Amino acid sequence: MAAASTMDLTHDDVAKILKIIDEAAHLDEVELEFAGLRLHVRRDASPGESVRRTAASAAVPAGVAVPAKKAPVAEPQAPAGAVAVRAPMLGTFYRAPSPGENPFVEVGQHVKAGDTVCLIEVMKLFNSISAGVDGTVVAIPAQNGALVEYNQPLVYVMPDPASEE
Amino acid sequence: MASPPFRRLLVANRGEIAVRVIRACDKLGIETVAAVSEADRDSLAARTATRAVCIGPAPARESYLKPEALVAAALGTGCEAIHPGYGFLSERPAFSRLCREAGVRFVGPSPEAIEAMGDKISAVRLATEAGVPRVPGSERIDSLATAQSEARRVGYPVLLKASAGGGGRGMRIVRSEAELPAAMQAAAAEAQAAFGDGTLYMEKFIERARHIEIQVLGDSHGNVVHLGERDCSTQRRHQKLIEEAPSPAIDAAMRVELADAAVRLARRVSYEGAGTVEFVYDTDAGRAYFLEMNTRIQVEHPVTEMVTGRDLVAEQIRIAAGEPVSFAQGDVALRGHAIECRINAEDASRGFLPSPGRLTSWSMPQGEGLRVDTHCFEGYLVPPFYDSLLAKVIAHGSSRAEAIERMDSALARCRIEGVLTTAPFHRAVLAHKDFRAARVTTRWVEETLLAREKVAA
Repeated sequence: MAAASTMDLTHDDVAKILKIIDEAAHLDEVELEFAGLRLHVRRDASPGESVRRTAASAAVPAGVAVPAKKAPVAEPQAPAGAVAVRAPMLGTFYRAPSPGENPFVEVGQHVKAGDTVCLIEVMKLFNSISAGVDGTVVAIPAQNGALVEYNQPLVYVMPDPASEE
Repeated sequence: MASPPFRRLLVANRGEIAVRVIRACDKLGIETVAAVSEADRDSLAARTATRAVCIGPAPARESYLKPEALVAAALGTGCEAIHPGYGFLSERPAFSRLCREAGVRFVGPSPEAIEAMGDKISAVRLATEAGVPRVPGSERIDSLATAQSEARRVGYPVLLKASAGGGGRGMRIVRSEAELPAAMQAAAAEAQAAFGDGTLYMEKFIERARHIEIQVLGDSHGNVVHLGERDCSTQRRHQKLIEEAPSPAIDAAMRVELADAAVRLARRVSYEGAGTVEFVYDTDAGRAYFLEMNTRIQVEHPVTEMVTGRDLVAEQIRIAAGEPVSFAQGDVALRGHAIECRINAEDASRGFLPSPGRLTSWSMPQGEGLRVDTHCFEGYLVPPFYDSLLAKVIAHGSSRAEAIERMDSALARCRIEGVLTTAPFHRAVLAHKDFRAARVTTRWVEETLLAREKVAA
């Protein structure tokens, strides 16, 4: 993106930004400022949605005992500003290419967007999961060798500050 | 209580059948893991199961139809068995095989039995060998010339069907030789699109047919029992709408003939689990022919449970654990009459258009002789990704007339708001003199009921 000007901010770029924001569960509002352009994104956390959810969990058919239970995945607290690398499929989470080898990444390590940060095994098929953003690994909430559900946060990466290359 | 057949079981389905399986497991003392898509995280199954795991995004092809994800979920959560419900992967031999290879019990028959019955041509051949009569028809049709000669032999009208088929897709009625080329092309294309296999075969088309099916249970000890018939003649475009047991259209002799035939066929394939042998009954000729065998629990299983007092899902699970069927044929007694209405989120007045949305109001009737199988509750969002079945209302009475009255009164007491449902349509059917007199055929809804409504409108 040498000599990028704000005029080059494409629809794709905006979509990518929105995706990053969407994946950072703790972010409700983001304001980005470029020279001459301001992008203001706010997540719709209108009270209406949560009210409807409460109603949904409160009313169940008579005679059916429904334990109050939240969504299957208990979301760990995301480090502020970090981007979650989420499981694209259900499977077994592995931090290293094979047992005995060093993990792909450790907390504090810098990664490029295309770097593999972990593997997910589904029925002996290993899928490489990449970081998705350039940045620093700040947390690895998933347990090595454990079952991870679809969309569960595996690794948190703090994106590099935007650099003028 | 005896020790549970399994310690923990994965429910590889959604909707009302997932809830039904969880209820059976609760009764048997089995822990449950609900495998849910992202759209079903807040579902009743996810809440009532011991635990829920998210197996993938909302589209079924990326979640409920992914054998590897389901088996991995079962292994990862320590489940000893997988219940596939109906639809989705329930009749995929590859899924049953994958479970076997992974050391997880599949609650259903062997991959070999599913394969034998899943291919319609192979199923028809096995049925013939077991002495179960089939509708006069052809083997595989590979050319227009074969189709023409076979149609002449069978006699028009004929029905073109997909070998890999089901649910009415890839089917065409052909009334004359002139219609044959175009109908073949359309049926093959539809079959190819729906099943990835455009192979066709042909059957004599029966003008006034009723759909009658026999429920069977087989176990690994060689026992096969039947639990009588269900009559599912009230259909629209081959989709069942109302089912009842016993059938009001057949006599005792025909009942014995069909049940014996179904048991013979199940024995022929060493059938294990719950299965249904479907027949088409020619009301003019008073003869029944083999249609197909479904190797899973069926949507309409509750009507059989209501007249026999047996829990079919619990039997399925015990059989999968290697236990014998818990009763003998002589212990099966039929009591009264049961009817089931499928309440779908569809607008019957607009061609049964799906009507997803949030259930702003949901209250279902309760009372003597009533049962409601559902996964819905007030505030539930009916997702647009899956089928439209909201609930099954089942009414039991000492007679057919009493069951009908009880059903009508139950439907009148359903309070469902936020989506449109087929409940009013069911009341119109129940009130119709043809239904009361058991004169309904499998095309009655389209040709009589809906056709008249159009004229009236």
